[in-house]
Amino acid sequence: MNSRGRAWTAAATVLLIFVVLCPVFFIVQMSVRTGLEAFRMPPTLVFSPTLQNYVDLVEGKFVRSLMNSTVTATSTTVLALLLGVPAAYAFSRARFRAQGVVSLWTLVTRMAPPIAFGIPFFLIYKELGLIDTRVGLVVIYLTFNLSLVIWMMRAFFDSVPRSLEEAAYIDGAGIAAAFVRIALPLSAPGLATTAIFTFLLAWNDFFYSLLLTRSEAVTAPVAIVNFMNYESWEWGKVAAAATMIMLPVVALSILVRNYIVRGLTAGAVKG
Amino acid sequence: MERISRRHFLRSTGVAAGLTVTGVRPSRTLAQAGKPYAGTRLKVSQVSHAYADGLLARLPAFEQQTGIKVEIDQMSFPVLNQREDLELASGSGAYDVMQMIFIRSGRWIGAGWAEPLNPFLDDARLTDKAVLDVGDFVAGAMAPFKRGETIYALPWLSDSTVVGYRTDLFEKAGYTKFPETFEALQEAAAKMHTRQTAGFVTEDNLHWIFPNWLLSYGGGFFTNPPGDLTPTFDTPEALKAAEMFTTMLAKYSPPGGIKLDPSVAQAIMHQGKAACYLDGMGNTQHIIDTKKTTLADRMAFTHTPRGPKGHFPQLAVHGYFINKASKNKNAAWELIKWAAGKDQMLWSALNKGHLACTRSSVLANAEVRQKFTWRGSDLASLHLAVMKRAGEGYMVYRTVPQFPPVGDRVIIAMTAIASGQTGVADGMKSLQKDAEGILEKAGVKINRRS
Repeated sequence: MNSRGRAWTAAATVLLIFVVLCPVFFIVQMSVRTGLEAFRMPPTLVFSPTLQNYVDLVEGKFVRSLMNSTVTATSTTVLALLLGVPAAYAFSRARFRAQGVVSLWTLVTRMAPPIAFGIPFFLIYKELGLIDTRVGLVVIYLTFNLSLVIWMMRAFFDSVPRSLEEAAYIDGAGIAAAFVRIALPLSAPGLATTAIFTFLLAWNDFFYSLLLTRSEAVTAPVAIVNFMNYESWEWGKVAAAATMIMLPVVALSILVRNYIVRGLTAGAVKG
Repeated sequence: MERISRRHFLRSTGVAAGLTVTGVRPSRTLAQAGKPYAGTRLKVSQVSHAYADGLLARLPAFEQQTGIKVEIDQMSFPVLNQREDLELASGSGAYDVMQMIFIRSGRWIGAGWAEPLNPFLDDARLTDKAVLDVGDFVAGAMAPFKRGETIYALPWLSDSTVVGYRTDLFEKAGYTKFPETFEALQEAAAKMHTRQTAGFVTEDNLHWIFPNWLLSYGGGFFTNPPGDLTPTFDTPEALKAAEMFTTMLAKYSPPGGIKLDPSVAQAIMHQGKAACYLDGMGNTQHIIDTKKTTLADRMAFTHTPRGPKGHFPQLAVHGYFINKASKNKNAAWELIKWAAGKDQMLWSALNKGHLACTRSSVLANAEVRQKFTWRGSDLASLHLAVMKRAGEGYMVYRTVPQFPPVGDRVIIAMTAIASGQTGVADGMKSLQKDAEGILEKAGVKINRRS
């Protein structure tokens, strides 16, 4: 490609990035504007930024909701990986009767829309005293994310040559050692990708948090909706809260972006 | 159990008999006598609203006075609808005091989920009637929460449809005052509508806005609610109203005018992108928020226009009620008395801008009148007049248990007609058929017309 072609490509890339990130820029700039400035038409590029919306959030209950999101999403991710990754390894390596059927049945929780499970879960949770608890949310997120972890990680384990583990067996390693020392490190990109997806699903959940919480365990996506007051919406707070919700996910994604890319492309060029 | 001695029994009986014979009644309520509910924890569910902020601001004094600990969960209106319905239907006693949502009151009261308040009101130990002064609530605001003489909730919010408009734009178009009929409003909107400034804007809860036209043109949702719920969307009056209303949405609203939530509709007025805004007072009053607009000194307020059959402004009311499943009903009543009390409502009007209130005394208060008079528009009087008008009984269609699904279908019909997906006649015919289906499915006996 000549220099002119490279320049066009670069310009198109910048334009594409701008278009894709436009909603993010819009939300972030709105979060530091006053109510008067937020919807000014045409928008002013020069304005005095304010952190008042963030101060209001910190002084209110939003931080508690953000903490609920952090705790439930992190716990769900850790538990889902702890339970799901060994299960995925077993599905990948073991041979047993009805393996296909059992494997398919792990997906049963994802075979219907969330609303189909909503009311039964509410009634069961009410009896168990799990409504409005972080534990309750973790359990339900785990229920739905475990199948995702198993199916994603199984594909990654399938792509790891068995011969490597067999060599370890010859050297005296057991199944656990082969799993921990051979299969798991080789599937690290997959592990990172799966962790991110699991975290995102729990972090962004709205439906179950809406249904199964009241005030103590309310997560950030539901809390943000509550800035839609009856008389008027608090756009500044909505924008500030959205920015705060985005930040941890963006930071996490940047942190493990190399793994994610490798995880997503793993096997793509396998001949 | 503690044994009652014979002497104690005789003394108590004697005192009780003496009080009965002489007609002497205890002059103080239980709460005034001490702190009978000290240590009780109450949970309240209500919409995110300035009124709730007012309660929170003054809650410490209430808690100190009664010993009751109160937690108020504020949530957005869609969340509140979903959550309260689920909590009540499942018999959960998680919330002691809840917000009675106007259009759900028929279902909730009918299902027995709301505790009747009369036993609390009539018990002198629990209520000082002179202080609570139930008669101070405007009749139009109380009506949705009464079944016969039984009261199920005390209203704290009443939203009356009014119009906020730009005096400068109307004057420029040759109008010295706001048009008094929907026909005249349409003519004015046609004159003023440009690409930069729409002639009209409203919010997207169309089953709340459309009835302003529908009833004024002689139409209605049902034949004779609550007795005869046969839908009447296929009448010539309903068709004319639908044509007038959807024309305003399609031709004279801003781009996307069919689907604007209240805050966006307000923002459009703030930016000077529309000449007038028809909505509930609670929303409309914000168009003069000087923190959000520089055009406040060009705005004024007035009644909604009338149609050939009269003036039918709409009224939505919300109240506080005691959850039947609550285990702390007496303490809950203590909270409701305070939350919907004169003192709290007046304080909220003066300090939190709560104009959409429900008490005559607050709306008649000189300070309130002064605070809410804007460029000659007396908003308190405007609101009171709508509440009184709505109290004449035409709002009963919104409190029948089957209103919510029919109302949702009305929104779909208005959206389809205004967006050109269907014509007025076909759209209303389809609405009629679907509304009949909804009612029959709910077990309501109707005289099918489609």
